[in-house]
Amino acid sequence: MKKFIIEIFKFTLFAIIFYIITLLIWESIKYPFLKPNLYCNKGSYGNTFTRLKEAKKINTVDVLILGSSHAYRGFDTRIFNKNNISSFNLGTSSQTPIQTLALLKRYLKTIHPKLIIVEVYPGVLNSDGVESSLDIINNDENDFLSLEMVLKQNNIKTFNTLIFNYYRNFLNLDNSFVEKRIKNDDTYISGGYIEKKIGYYKPKNITKQPIIIDKKQLDAFEDIIYEIKNRNIELVLVYAPISKNLYSSYTNNHYFDGLMMKYSEYYNFNSMIKLNDTIDFDDSNHLNQIGVEKFNNKLIEIIKNRFSKN
Amino acid sequence: MLFNSLDFAVFLPSVFFLYWFVFNKNLKHQNLLIVVSSYYFYGLWDWRFLFLIFFSTLVDYSIGKSLLNVTNQKKRKGLLLISVFVNLGLLVFFKYYNFFLDNFIATFKFFGHPIDIQGLNIILPVGISFYTFQTMSYTIDVYRKKIEPTDNFITFCAFVSFFPQLVAGPIERASHLLPQFTKKRTLEYDKAVDGMKQILWGLFKKMVIADNCALFANQIFDNSSELNGSTLLLGAVFFAFQIYCDFSGYSDIAIGVARLFGFDLMRNFAFPYFSRDVAEFWRRWHISLSTWFRDYLYIPLGGSRGSNWMKIRNIFIIFLVSGFWHGANWTFLVWGALNAFYFLPLLLSKKNRTNIDIIAQGKFLPSFKDFLAMVFTFFITTIAWVFFRANTIQHAGSYVSGIFSSSLFDMPHFKEINKGFTVILLLLFFIFIEWCGRESQFAIENIGVRWPRIIRWSFYSFLIFCIGMFMATYETPFIYFQF
Repeated sequence: MKKFIIEIFKFTLFAIIFYIITLLIWESIKYPFLKPNLYCNKGSYGNTFTRLKEAKKINTVDVLILGSSHAYRGFDTRIFNKNNISSFNLGTSSQTPIQTLALLKRYLKTIHPKLIIVEVYPGVLNSDGVESSLDIINNDENDFLSLEMVLKQNNIKTFNTLIFNYYRNFLNLDNSFVEKRIKNDDTYISGGYIEKKIGYYKPKNITKQPIIIDKKQLDAFEDIIYEIKNRNIELVLVYAPISKNLYSSYTNNHYFDGLMMKYSEYYNFNSMIKLNDTIDFDDSNHLNQIGVEKFNNKLIEIIKNRFSKN
Repeated sequence: MLFNSLDFAVFLPSVFFLYWFVFNKNLKHQNLLIVVSSYYFYGLWDWRFLFLIFFSTLVDYSIGKSLLNVTNQKKRKGLLLISVFVNLGLLVFFKYYNFFLDNFIATFKFFGHPIDIQGLNIILPVGISFYTFQTMSYTIDVYRKKIEPTDNFITFCAFVSFFPQLVAGPIERASHLLPQFTKKRTLEYDKAVDGMKQILWGLFKKMVIADNCALFANQIFDNSSELNGSTLLLGAVFFAFQIYCDFSGYSDIAIGVARLFGFDLMRNFAFPYFSRDVAEFWRRWHISLSTWFRDYLYIPLGGSRGSNWMKIRNIFIIFLVSGFWHGANWTFLVWGALNAFYFLPLLLSKKNRTNIDIIAQGKFLPSFKDFLAMVFTFFITTIAWVFFRANTIQHAGSYVSGIFSSSLFDMPHFKEINKGFTVILLLLFFIFIEWCGRESQFAIENIGVRWPRIIRWSFYSFLIFCIGMFMATYETPFIYFQF
């Protein structure tokens, strides 16, 4: 028995070292289909690398915004600045509460906002969040919070990618990486916003679907609320506008509104401002710049009112 | 709880620790721990069905004890019939009720008398086909006076519910497994290491080969009407490896886990795709079920004795019952019948025991004749698998006719063919390892035993790496859970 336990222990150590070394070598294989559970691509979606690098230099802002692409494509920090509200947009692609929580814990150490806006969208609350985790792991410096995020996700692809990025972070291999600010139709704006070349949406039929909330994501969402309230930071939940045909495809929007209202001050802009699917949207999910301005001006009114009351 | 889950990765070492370090001094306590952990293991699927296992256990335990005291042959037979009736009754109700009802309604409709009877919303309890057969074998063996009934209820509970083999076998015989619960177990180093190796190989088969093959087999079977012959053939091959690696992977893990607790379970697969004829295939595929049917159905029916008509009848009965055991669908019956047709010429020409040795034993390459026989056997079993996998007989028919169309010689084409290429590479690696290890109990049992430790450990670690790099990222239950 003793021999067996000792041998198992030794082999486990050996296998861990072997796994890590092989993983580091395997990454250099050119063909992605030979490494399906490893995704290492710096500077891929939504300029996360540049945004997070900039976030490290930010100290105090009035408003910090978190959320998915609805956030970084929908909350234009230039409009906030024009209205004398300093802001930073920490939105990342498909960001789900699991990633929001990790980013909050990581960046609230250095950024001290007066108000946090968490953009909420039913789609991400039912997502596994793997895509977003990979995005953050690849584009940020990884610490223990990354491991916590990956453990919550329990997906082998995020585990492998994290191991690989720990190694890169440890040797500072990404120091010289510079991400393009303009990618196709997207331009990264200092402050975290991404402006897309103006486009118009042709509405299509979308199959009706119920809003389903993933238990893991809801737990992480509750942790976010706790984390923010515990730090005595004001919190507003915002359901940014999506196209009418997408919004009306959800069969239980009232359930979602009711759920969000339980947690904090909540604004559903889909029922607060009138937008036109073709004129104001770039696709079913995202506003174009015309829509962003309408939405942001309305939101800023609310924020200013809040600030003046306080 | 799935073997390929993190839950099991926590469960197994915990039970192992309690078993060898806390309850090791008392056999009864060890057996009780097995019962409790097995019920917990099973209860995580659906705790309500624990009552069913307990009921089946209680019935066979009581009947087993009664059989010891009853000498009157009629009464003994009556007791046996109660056991068979209860166990098969449970199986028929949960597994076949709606099937029989649907066919009953369809028959009336066919004769112009439509009837309206609502089916029941019945959930199939996981593993019911396995544990009912295991408990039945106990009562039959006691009835035949092959074994003494046990007078210890906890021991019998442990025998029925032993978690490594509870939900998908191997279907153990009481004469083999039950005595192991009454003897003191020891953890022998070599056996435990073999167990670990077998678990590793089982996980590799399931998580790397079966789950990746499933991705493409499902895609091809679901869109079969739009695909060419070569793609359909590839889909059938993917399914052949999916079902083999899924099921034999489970058996490997079960046997390996049992070894860690000091138990020897029977072998369930012996490299069936290296068979040179269908008779050999059936000696190597799902051995615990084939031998169960042989011992409790085929031989009582007369086996291969008697006239040719008797032989034909018995072969058809055993293959049809075996097909029906797999599920309540006509496709399984056709699958069974097809295998009976494959088997009959061998039986009638008395060539069914020609290939009882291991192919190319002691050599690396087979003879050309053996190679051709092996490829042919694989091909015809793969065609039979189409019926096993298809949703309906019509689906299977159109699938098979699609394979034998002129487009069989076109290039295969399906979505994400690049990933399909990865699966083919993995399959080649897998087949190579299985071929190298075909003279062992499981493929990697003896591979590398004479290599320096660092090389041997690197090989096992590489298998672990392959699991991490190629495993499916979604939850994939074992196919045989549904049977």
